[in-house]
Amino acid sequence: MSLLTMILKMSEGLGKTCAIFFLTLLFSLPLGMLVALLRMSKNKIVSSVVRFVITVLRGTPLMLQLLAVTYGPYYLFGANVSRNKLIPVVIAFSINYAAYFAEIYRGGIESIPAGQYEAAEVLGYSRFQTFVRIVLPQVIKRILPSVTNEVVTLVKDTSMAFTVSYQEMFTIGKQIANSQTSFVPFIVAGVFYYVFNFVVDRVMGGIEKRLNYYK
Amino acid sequence: MREEMETVSEKTEKTGTASAPILEIRNLQKAFDRVAVLRDISFSINPGNVVTVIGPSGSGKSTLLRCASFLETANDGDILYDGEYALKGGVYASKKELGRFRTLFGMVFQNFNLFPHYSVMKNICEPTVLRGVSKEEARDRAVSLLKKMGLEGKENAYPCQLSGGQQQRVAIARALALKPEILFFDEPTSALDPELTGEVLKVIRQLAEDRMTMVVVTHEMSFAHAVSHRVIFMDGGYIMEEGSPEQIFQDPQQERTKKFLSNYKQ
Ligand SMILES: Nc1ncnc2c1ncn2[C@@H]1O[C@H](COP(=O)(O)OP(=O)(O)OP(=O)(O)O)[C@@H](O)[C@H]1O
Ligand SMILES: [Mg+2]
Repeated sequence: MSLLTMILKMSEGLGKTCAIFFLTLLFSLPLGMLVALLRMSKNKIVSSVVRFVITVLRGTPLMLQLLAVTYGPYYLFGANVSRNKLIPVVIAFSINYAAYFAEIYRGGIESIPAGQYEAAEVLGYSRFQTFVRIVLPQVIKRILPSVTNEVVTLVKDTSMAFTVSYQEMFTIGKQIANSQTSFVPFIVAGVFYYVFNFVVDRVMGGIEKRLNYYK
Repeated sequence: MREEMETVSEKTEKTGTASAPILEIRNLQKAFDRVAVLRDISFSINPGNVVTVIGPSGSGKSTLLRCASFLETANDGDILYDGEYALKGGVYASKKELGRFRTLFGMVFQNFNLFPHYSVMKNICEPTVLRGVSKEEARDRAVSLLKKMGLEGKENAYPCQLSGGQQQRVAIARALALKPEILFFDEPTSALDPELTGEVLKVIRQLAEDRMTMVVVTHEMSFAHAVSHRVIFMDGGYIMEEGSPEQIFQDPQQERTKKFLSNYKQ
């Protein structure tokens, strides 16, 4: 198999890699905020349950979570393993990344000085207005570097979908590597991920720059 | 400058009495984890008056202002705005009522607490607009307040581009834009370099001349002397002594007051 055929074949999986990436971000970024807010809930039961769930999601391999979400329903209820593996893959990724984002959000929210809340309260902002207008924009600026880290990791983590044989770029590459007994597909995959993350880095850097108008 | 300050005080003092108190506090008590911080505080302030609160660190001055502005929950006592109970015997009025009382006062913090992601203009205008004032009106108010604060041309600056003294003047403008009946200051110059305190005190003095009702916690004794109608000396959660600036600064009755003030005479 020529190098060009390899690249073309692997590119076919790139759409699926991107699907995992963008769908995971789409769901995990807001879900993480919900989890963070529950984690900071004044209700002790809610906050400790959420805290426990976060430690499980962060303390066990993503690979295990992928297997659990994809095949769990089959072992538990004898349900058919869905033919479109994108759904369980995105669910597993979204939940896992939401746990990481939640902790980042929480750190950001807790770093906003109490004086900001107090000033807003005296000025007549409602709690919702305070959060959306005063706290959230400052949190986003503060956490952006940590979020960028996670996003970069996510690009690389999409390759884990091979554990459930979802036909994304890396899974295809691995199959070619096996059938052709060649190392080249892995190099191609490495280049793909590098370029992907180069773009991610540029985009996130651009956003960071746009928020640089204040300190 | 000292002389000028004193004439200001004399001028306003003669007119600064009568009419019902805008804020009245009775037997206010506040404890943090059973440690009493305000033990029994009572005082009132009439429209157009300036009350300064002095006292050693930890005496409860900030806590008093924070209780008056509902940032802390008092344990017992009464707080009345314009003769209406916001707190009665340790029980607060409804949330809605408190929201209404909140429109009566403004607060200026030691650390300014401007919103760093907003321009000067937006810092001043947004709270006003959120209260239902039109954008044009809010803008007009902001522009004239900035002029009054000596901050023309700073509309589009961000707080981080301003000096501490300028930031505090923006914070004062932001509070004034809501047209409060009474303004609380918690050590408005304590976070500032000495050379910047003057510009902020000057603005507050100007407000006193304009008959703004104010409660000012401060360590600036000559300012307190010059600008106040009444001075409150707090210690250990009590008002130890209260009187005209002349009484407190020239003829204090309590030993504690004498001792405290002697630290400021060098
Ligand atoms: N949130 C809090 N939790 C526990 N203790 C508190 C809290 N806020 C204030 N205190 C305590 O209450 C006491 C009075 O504090 P407060 O800030 O009112 O004093 P202050 O007169 O403003 O002092 P300073 O001149 O240093 O500003 C202090 O002993 C302080 O440690
Ligand atoms: Mg204080």
